[in-house]
Amino acid sequence: MHCHLKHLAKARPIGCLLAVGLLLQGCLTPYESRHENQWDAREQIGMSEASQVKLRAAQSRVFDMTDRQTILKTIVSTMQDLNFQLDVLDEELGIVSGKYFAPLERPEYGYDPLYHLYDDQNLLIFSKTYLSWGPFWHRNDLVRLTVTVRPRNEKQLVVRASAQFYLRAVEDPEPYQKFFRSLEQALFLETKLAQDSQAVQPITP
Amino acid sequence: MEHKQAVWIALLFTGGLFLQACAPPQPGPNLLAPTAAQMKLRSYQSRSFEATDPSQAMRGVVAALQDLGFIIERANEPMGLVTAARFAEPNYTDVMGITVTVRSQTEGHMMIRANAIYNNKPIEDPKVYQNFFATLERSLFITKE
Repeated sequence: MHCHLKHLAKARPIGCLLAVGLLLQGCLTPYESRHENQWDAREQIGMSEASQVKLRAAQSRVFDMTDRQTILKTIVSTMQDLNFQLDVLDEELGIVSGKYFAPLERPEYGYDPLYHLYDDQNLLIFSKTYLSWGPFWHRNDLVRLTVTVRPRNEKQLVVRASAQFYLRAVEDPEPYQKFFRSLEQALFLETKLAQDSQAVQPITP
Repeated sequence: MEHKQAVWIALLFTGGLFLQACAPPQPGPNLLAPTAAQMKLRSYQSRSFEATDPSQAMRGVVAALQDLGFIIERANEPMGLVTAARFAEPNYTDVMGITVTVRSQTEGHMMIRANAIYNNKPIEDPKVYQNFFATLERSLFITKE
């Protein structure tokens, strides 16, 4: 027993050093090593883990209304509540897209990004302390959301929200449930406001 | 033998820590949920103005943003949306972005809401919004004339 303890006592400092070393290495692992290479779009399509039908159901909500403009305006105000910056707003197609920055992974280390410029192929992030394009890990902190509105039938509309975080599609239904709860509340207020405004209007003979 | 076991335990432990450090964060359930602070912020960000024509109010917003040195990025009149950005004083290395929405409220009133961000972080200081609305009030008064 004494012998066991002696061996353990010798191994402990080595183990501790190794643990600290690996832990530090783990924290400073370059961006690339924590993401698989995605060589083409086919791989990205295959990345979706949940059932597409299930995901689509979680992302969609039916509303008993046909006023596209009202629902689009309510989506915009809900996204404003969530501090989203709006990038796309197309009334005809019924699309609203926006982004916000959630520094969850790496909080403040002096690499404060100033500006995100996102287009189809690139994401440029400017930072005054990092004089290059990047830093890359801030791509992970970007939450992006697209909300679409389409008619379901003569009396209903379908709103679908799809979010991206950590470069991947958000497949957990809970964030979507919370988004739709906020949207429903905003829509209720919107409808009430419209009714009040109609009530205030003077009756013309 | 015991020494080897100890090394293996240490390796497994460090391996576990290593994997934990590398695991991507999972999106929290509140990723798309508003917080109480955001709800409070909303009251600073909104102000009702006397205006009957949404188009005139939009022009007033655009002119106010121009007065404040912003460059307009998007303007959608039917949806009442304007987004703009500018570099900020004193060094002009910081970026300020703003999203303004114009909505008809009651007869003769427009609800104008502004969301401003400074280097990707929402501005929570009410004074900034007060200054914006003061500029907007002047701008609306001038465009009305």
